Amino acid sequence: MALIEVDDLVKEYQLNVRHKGLLGSIRSLLIPEYTKKVAVDSISFSIEKGETVGFIGPNGAGKSTTVKMLTGILTPTSGTITVGGLSPYKDRKKNASRIGVVFGQRTQLWWDLPVADTFDLLKYIYKIPDNVFRENMELFSDILGLQEFMKQPVRQLSLGQKMRADIGAALLHNPEIIFFDEPTIGLDVVAKEQIREFVRTVNRERGTTMLFTTHDMLDIEKTCKRMIIIDHGKKIYDGTVEEIKDKYGRSRVLRVEFSEYIADVQLPGAEMIKEEGNKKWFEFQKDQTQVSRLINTLSQKYGIVDITVQEPEIEGVIREIYQGGIDLNETLSGVS
Amino acid sequence: MRLYLELAKKSFQNNIVYRADYFASLINAIVLIFVNIAIWKAINEEEGALGGLQLNILITYIVISFLMQTVYQMDEYFIEGKVRTGLISTDLLKPFYFRLFVFSYNVGSMVFKFIMQFIPAMLLSVFLFRLLPPFNTQMLLYFILSAILGYLVLYNINFIVWISSFWFYWTFSLVTIKDAAVMILSGALIPIWFMPTWLIDFIELTPFNAIFYTPILIYLGMMPEDEIFMSIVKQILWIIALFGIGHILWKRATKKLVVQGG
Ligand SMILES: Nc1ncnc2c1ncn2[C@@H]1O[C@H](COP(=O)(O)OP(=O)(O)OP(=O)(O)O)[C@@H](O)[C@H]1O
Ligand SMILES: [Mg+2]
Repeated sequence: MALIEVDDLVKEYQLNVRHKGLLGSIRSLLIPEYTKKVAVDSISFSIEKGETVGFIGPNGAGKSTTVKMLTGILTPTSGTITVGGLSPYKDRKKNASRIGVVFGQRTQLWWDLPVADTFDLLKYIYKIPDNVFRENMELFSDILGLQEFMKQPVRQLSLGQKMRADIGAALLHNPEIIFFDEPTIGLDVVAKEQIREFVRTVNRERGTTMLFTTHDMLDIEKTCKRMIIIDHGKKIYDGTVEEIKDKYGRSRVLRVEFSEYIADVQLPGAEMIKEEGNKKWFEFQKDQTQVSRLINTLSQKYGIVDITVQEPEIEGVIREIYQGGIDLNETLSGVS
Repeated sequence: MRLYLELAKKSFQNNIVYRADYFASLINAIVLIFVNIAIWKAINEEEGALGGLQLNILITYIVISFLMQTVYQMDEYFIEGKVRTGLISTDLLKPFYFRLFVFSYNVGSMVFKFIMQFIPAMLLSVFLFRLLPPFNTQMLLYFILSAILGYLVLYNINFIVWISSFWFYWTFSLVTIKDAAVMILSGALIPIWFMPTWLIDFIELTPFNAIFYTPILIYLGMMPEDEIFMSIVKQILWIIALFGIGHILWKRATKKLVVQGG
């Protein structure tokens, strides 16, 4: 059995119907009315030990809801979840001691205490042995640079410092599984990279299993091999990051810098999409047109200073999937 | 157990950080005592309304009452804050007992206030207001026991109010109403013996007089020894009953949280 098994998972939220105006609000107070909102709609997947999985989807897709159910702070409406053989919501405390959770939107550190004190308390909460505690503190200080602000109260930390402290706090007890819900939200490029590096290190050295929710595709590319995409509560893709890039990242962009301005460039098999001074960008499909032929054509006719081929970014692919531009129901192996 | 001790310790240390707040509340307590004693003195001179009761007994009552109130001051919005920010769910995600966590947090700051506010203010009061010592050593011991129970009664009442934030989100009005009820019905402001009989009969049915009135009467030696036992039993019963209500509400609150997602 896989480490995490999710089967036919459904979560419906109950929403209070509010009526407009004073009379309406009194009415809602006296006779509450509810509607249902399906946030997660029969999702199934399984994750093996040591896997790193990116869990993505547009806003409101149901990612956080799923993560909450996996951690045990939300009960499913129907369906089953097992995490390491346990049901997270029935064995919340037991499950809690084996997982680590980072919610990027809110810190789990205690506001008034210095970071070091929070870590001390976590040592007792998770009953972490002295040597493990010391080892981890050293490792985290190294990679996450925690020692800079260890003595400061949490409320004084910058967003990036808080996030690093939070990640350290979530990993202090050597959890088998870590759930990240947008751990890089609002961070600068350097901080993001630092966190990705940390995640990679922990996964490599400890074989920690990770589920990673984010809106930054670079996070996924740099940390995850596998990707699950959900939309409107339904799973629409589950497979490798490579495959989706290969299949849908078929278009390439050729950036050419000419030695002089040329008004009209004829290039069969490619389409000009942008121009700027002596530079022009051409888009082509890699399975229909060969780059070498394009370059040949160009270099025979014109003087060329520089030429580069740009790979598609996964970001663009995902954007198209969200906007319905790509229908995943074609041929991908990961589509359910 | 070790964890909760550490928590209380951290909360104690946390109180030290807010030095300005510390001095402000110390001065506040002294001023309140001063004003109240002045009022009672004025009433006594105008009307002789104390009915032969020695003024220094009344003064001692007021001093002890206000000092206890200072020590029993709790963070009323601790749970509410966690509920509103959603942090409550991350606390539930830790392998510990949340209610013990909140309790340790409050006990830590209670101990702080006891050592850093009660004791200095008490010494100052002996000097300033000629505070009477406890009736005798035995009564002092009963007083300590009863005062601890009084704290637990108040804590459990407070917990019920705090937990209601799972449904109301904002508990300011509720806390204000609760504070007013405690202020009047617990004898914190006016000794209950001055109140009309119908009100005394009503108060007897509530847990409020178990907070301040019972321990203070014991301190003053104004409770006959055979009644002390019954009063202490009554305090314990209220603690159990209020804890029971709090427990049920807590179960419902966490149920609501895990089903409706906060
Ligand atoms: N406590 C709640 N009560 C009612 N509806 C909720 C609740 N929490 C979330 N929802 C709804 O459920 C749906 C899924 O929300 P969820 O937070 O899981 O999305 P998400 O994928 O994490 O989005 P984002 O990328 O914006 O974080 C949304 O439509 C949201 O409005
Ligand atoms: Mg989310």
